[in-house]
Amino acid sequence: MSRGILASLLIIAAALSTAAPQQAPPPTHNVQGAVRTVDVRGRALEVTTGVGMALRVVRVLVPADLRVVSAGAPLPFTRLQAGDLVRVSYGSRPGGFVAYTIERLERAP
Amino acid sequence: MSRRAAAVGICLLVATPGACRRAPQLGDPLPGLSAAERDRFDRGRAVFDSIFDPATGLGPLFNADACAECHEDPVRGGTGDEVERHAAAFHPEVTGRPCDELATLGGPVYQNHVTPALHTALGIDSEPVPPQATAIAARTTPAIFGFGLLDAVPDSVILSYADPEDRDLDGVSGRPNRFFDGRLGRFGRKALVPALREFNDGALAAEQGITTPAVPTEETVAGRPLPAGVDPAADPELSAQAAELLDAFVRLLAPPSPQRLSREARQGRDAFMRVGCAGCHVPALRTGDSPIPALRRREVAAYTDLLLHDMGPDLADICLGDATPREFRTEPLMGVRLVARFLHDGRATTLEQAIELHNGEATRARDAFRALSAEDRVAVVAFLKTL
Repeated sequence: MSRGILASLLIIAAALSTAAPQQAPPPTHNVQGAVRTVDVRGRALEVTTGVGMALRVVRVLVPADLRVVSAGAPLPFTRLQAGDLVRVSYGSRPGGFVAYTIERLERAP
Repeated sequence: MSRRAAAVGICLLVATPGACRRAPQLGDPLPGLSAAERDRFDRGRAVFDSIFDPATGLGPLFNADACAECHEDPVRGGTGDEVERHAAAFHPEVTGRPCDELATLGGPVYQNHVTPALHTALGIDSEPVPPQATAIAARTTPAIFGFGLLDAVPDSVILSYADPEDRDLDGVSGRPNRFFDGRLGRFGRKALVPALREFNDGALAAEQGITTPAVPTEETVAGRPLPAGVDPAADPELSAQAAELLDAFVRLLAPPSPQRLSREARQGRDAFMRVGCAGCHVPALRTGDSPIPALRRREVAAYTDLLLHDMGPDLADICLGDATPREFRTEPLMGVRLVARFLHDGRATTLEQAIELHNGEATRARDAFRALSAEDRVAVVAFLKTL
């Protein structure tokens, strides 16, 4: 294949990839709150949060490949416990909210 | 020359700006607001007075249809005769978080009223408290005068009064509550809520069932989603601008001006200090920096440390955040002269009864109060009635 043909193919491929419909990432939400429950088997986490006396609980699914971090180091998901102070970023998916990042800020007292 | 004329004359002679400013009356804004701040206060008062109905956002679960329905006595911003229900589950054997505020089950505020549509759909007149609750608490309406000043007190000032291990061995510990995100709490009878804006936005949702951009979702009915068709107003039911104005009104409400002390009240103030009431009811807190000059570096005669104290088993009700059932935030005594029923649930009908019901960390001060002469006890109450 000549260099000219190769270059043309690359340009066409690049154009096609640009033109292909891209799935927009779901918007990211953030919550900082206290872990209410850790469902190890169901890979889910409930976080208590809210505004004033209007309390809410956010339930997020935790993908198997998501790394929880604590003080910059990885922390096994199973080590999270009720009462831990966490910061979670997450997005909405058809099956519910899914965590993108989980950081443990403080251990439960 | 009349006294008034003499006072005016003195004011003219003393060229100190604000030296002769009239003390704010109940319901007035803080002195020294700019024209723009005063305008926001006035417009916020209109939001505070607004009466909502289901079409404009009320409910489907609610305690009142307007802020001013509860905060009404003797003027808007004051107390009211409504008593609401809060519930939680306390499991002291659980490490980490022994308190469950029942947030997945509609808690901790269980509304006393429902809209006609919700009544028709579920056949209920109020939100049922789920059986998981281990305690139900009665809560009276607090007066909210001066709350903007309490909001402006730096965390460091509050923490300076904390002594969770009682290292000074005075029998009074005091520790802060913290919201779920770790911030220090200060508002509410259990000091759960960190900031006035959140206290106000949360009240719109929990007390009136009005969603805002800050709280865009309705309460559940004890954990059950609302039935379809019972909430006709689109969310958010109150705009960000209206919620901001409401916050401005509450934030800029002046605290009650303490009254002049009679000889008896001065005697009572001395006894109040002597018996140790001021160990928790700290007479004055100082605000820190604030974008609002009227709130900046001011002294507020709040008579509270905004900390949690163990009040003993008889007053215990629900847990909330880090607060155990026995722990309550020191109730601010500013404006206590305006209150008809005392303590968090209104069980005391006189100030002397309220003092008698103090226990736990307040035992030593209560016993010292009991040991006062009858004249001094009366004087303490006379002093409290000047606040």
